[in-house]
Amino acid sequence: MTVVDSPSAPVQQPAAPDPADGRAKGRRRSATRAGFAPLALTLPALLLLAGLLGYPLVRMVILSFQSLGLRQLFGNLPPENIGLANYVKIFTNQTFYEVVARTVAFTVASVLITVILGLAVALLMRRVAPSVRIAMIVAMMFVWAMPQLVATQTFRWLVDSDFGVLNYLIDLLPGVDFANHSWFADPIQGWIVITAIVVWAGIPFIAITLNAGLTQVPKELLEAATVDGASAWQTLRSITIPILKPLLIIVTTLSVIWNFGLFTQVYVVRNGRPEEEYQVLATWAYSTAFKNNNYGLGSAAAVVTVLMLLGVMAFYMRQMFKIGDVD
Amino acid sequence: MKRRIAVAAALAATLVGAAACGSSSDSSDTPNANASVNGAGKTIKVWLMVDAQSGWPEVVKQANERFTAATGAQVQVDYQQWTDHLAKLDTTLAGSDVPDVVELGNTEMPKYVFNGAFAPLDKPQFENSAQWLTGLSAPCELDGKTYCVPYYAGARVLLYRTDLYTKAGLTPPKTYDELINAAKVLKEKNGADKQFSAFYMPGKYWYAAMAWVHGNGGDIAKKDGDKWVGTLSEPAAQQGLTKWAELAKTYSSGDPTKDESDQDAVYAQGKSGMIYGNGWELGAVQEQPKDPNDPASAKVKTKVNGKVATAPLPGIPSFLGGSDVAVTAKSPNADLAAKWAQIFTDTKSQEGLIAKGVLPNATTLLDKAAAVKGNEATAQAAKETWFVPMAPKWSDVESANVLQNMLASIATGKATVPDAAKEADAKINEILNAS
Repeated sequence: MTVVDSPSAPVQQPAAPDPADGRAKGRRRSATRAGFAPLALTLPALLLLAGLLGYPLVRMVILSFQSLGLRQLFGNLPPENIGLANYVKIFTNQTFYEVVARTVAFTVASVLITVILGLAVALLMRRVAPSVRIAMIVAMMFVWAMPQLVATQTFRWLVDSDFGVLNYLIDLLPGVDFANHSWFADPIQGWIVITAIVVWAGIPFIAITLNAGLTQVPKELLEAATVDGASAWQTLRSITIPILKPLLIIVTTLSVIWNFGLFTQVYVVRNGRPEEEYQVLATWAYSTAFKNNNYGLGSAAAVVTVLMLLGVMAFYMRQMFKIGDVD
Repeated sequence: MKRRIAVAAALAATLVGAAACGSSSDSSDTPNANASVNGAGKTIKVWLMVDAQSGWPEVVKQANERFTAATGAQVQVDYQQWTDHLAKLDTTLAGSDVPDVVELGNTEMPKYVFNGAFAPLDKPQFENSAQWLTGLSAPCELDGKTYCVPYYAGARVLLYRTDLYTKAGLTPPKTYDELINAAKVLKEKNGADKQFSAFYMPGKYWYAAMAWVHGNGGDIAKKDGDKWVGTLSEPAAQQGLTKWAELAKTYSSGDPTKDESDQDAVYAQGKSGMIYGNGWELGAVQEQPKDPNDPASAKVKTKVNGKVATAPLPGIPSFLGGSDVAVTAKSPNADLAAKWAQIFTDTKSQEGLIAKGVLPNATTLLDKAAAVKGNEATAQAAKETWFVPMAPKWSDVESANVLQNMLASIATGKATVPDAAKEADAKINEILNAS
């Protein structure tokens, strides 16, 4: 790290041009030498990534230009190349646009709620006694550690119309009739349930990360602001948020990437058969590929999803490198 | 050279009595259930649906024991869930480590037969094959060959609470009007409980709703020339859907977005007067495993134990459901697999099923089934049945949930019957006629 960083100090260069040239050459040579070792060291990881992520990705892209059904699958027959036909089918399909709109709407809503609540929890953690903070972290770690599938299944039972405890509790309120209430008959209520599950599972990561970030906010600044008569809200907006900004951007982008690929929660809550008003991009691609055995079309839908996320990912990578530069 | 080795190998194989196991594709494509195969040290993999595990594990056990006694091979049974078993099967069959025998619902079978997933079988090798129920065996046939073996049939009947009926002075309905009247009386007598359903009807129960459609002279789709046409929006079908929706909306307080998969558990709570279910559900509502995750655990009696009986649903033909078993085309132990299928579907195994309230695979055995107490209603219902359109792509309509989604939108009131039926027809046309 220092080897790379120190020569770039610009102050030394104007002093003596000639030696500077020589140093530049030497630097380049040393850079090549140093460049080989890191490559060798990362090679195993790169190979692993290429095998586990690269190969399926390439196969998926190839498949998206082919027609592959059960007959080819069972008989080990080669799939047929059909060019862009799968993509044409997707982009001329009304359902596709509805599904994309629904996925985007869900992502925006769920990420906003998760980040705001996560930030609130992180701020709360700075204010409470250390013992309470540890209890909060432990509780959140449990939420974080719980597999999505298990958590979603549990939520599904809570909101079940016949056996669910949620209906039972709400029904206890005087004058409220929630016996056998179906939470999924109305898609708005259904999406509230699904969003709640996603937000619940998403808060711990954001709260714990932001809590770590908050320890970097200098106490002196906050004290100075208080002395100057700034309100809590002003302090938050003008000091805390700007300092947290790089972190906030990263957790938000990550949440966008995660929530955009929503699958488990919808799939489990709708018992493996999501209705049209519950289809998002991932479940739609899955239904197309695996339930209707149209693997080419399903792959094309997945490729489109990846392309849509590419912009977000590029933004995320840039932020990552920016933070690296600051360090 | 190669041929000489093959001959020598074949000779050696015959000498030790392990003839043509897995290499059966060399001589012919048809696995031979009667081949004398030494299966010692071999294990065949069988995929059965979860119903066998929860409903009749003894039948599977005795078949496995007889199979092992006959061949020396072991059996590994993996139980599958209805919701995801097809996707799992597709991906598994694409590889090389495949199950040898697979159970599929009779409506799911045509697609797999059509796409070459299963090996053709020698029909006369299977007991009662001349009298198989056509609803089960028709999906197995393609171009004069038989690709699967009927396993069991199911006919749906009315399950009703005898205690509530007696208290209300009702007798099992003989006509559809009597049925509606019974529901009305039960609702009046027990309606004080908000959770009470006179007739519990989940909104996505398509086997029920389509029975109403057929009972009113309608159909799901029909073949017009070489094209399939969805017929749910024709007047007779719409009338059936409307009657079904009236019943569901008026007399069921259940979740309109649920399917029938947990209706036994709901009924066992004692808050429903009637349900429409398979004959064997009569047992399932009265006794349930103590540990729901372990179907082998001791059974506990439910709240409705001893208070339930079955009757044919008047005016509503029953869907002839059921399952077939097939030998996979890629099975390395095809002869053994065929042997297992032969034992698992013979008269002895079928009698085990009959004892559990399950309908057998052949007409000759139906009378035997009717003689078993508790089976009378189902055996009678099996005489008047309907079946799904025999289109190669039919199971895509099922897995795309076209009917379930149509019914849920009717039951929740999101769409009117004509609108929902029209939309479903369009989807059925698109799927059944897809190239």
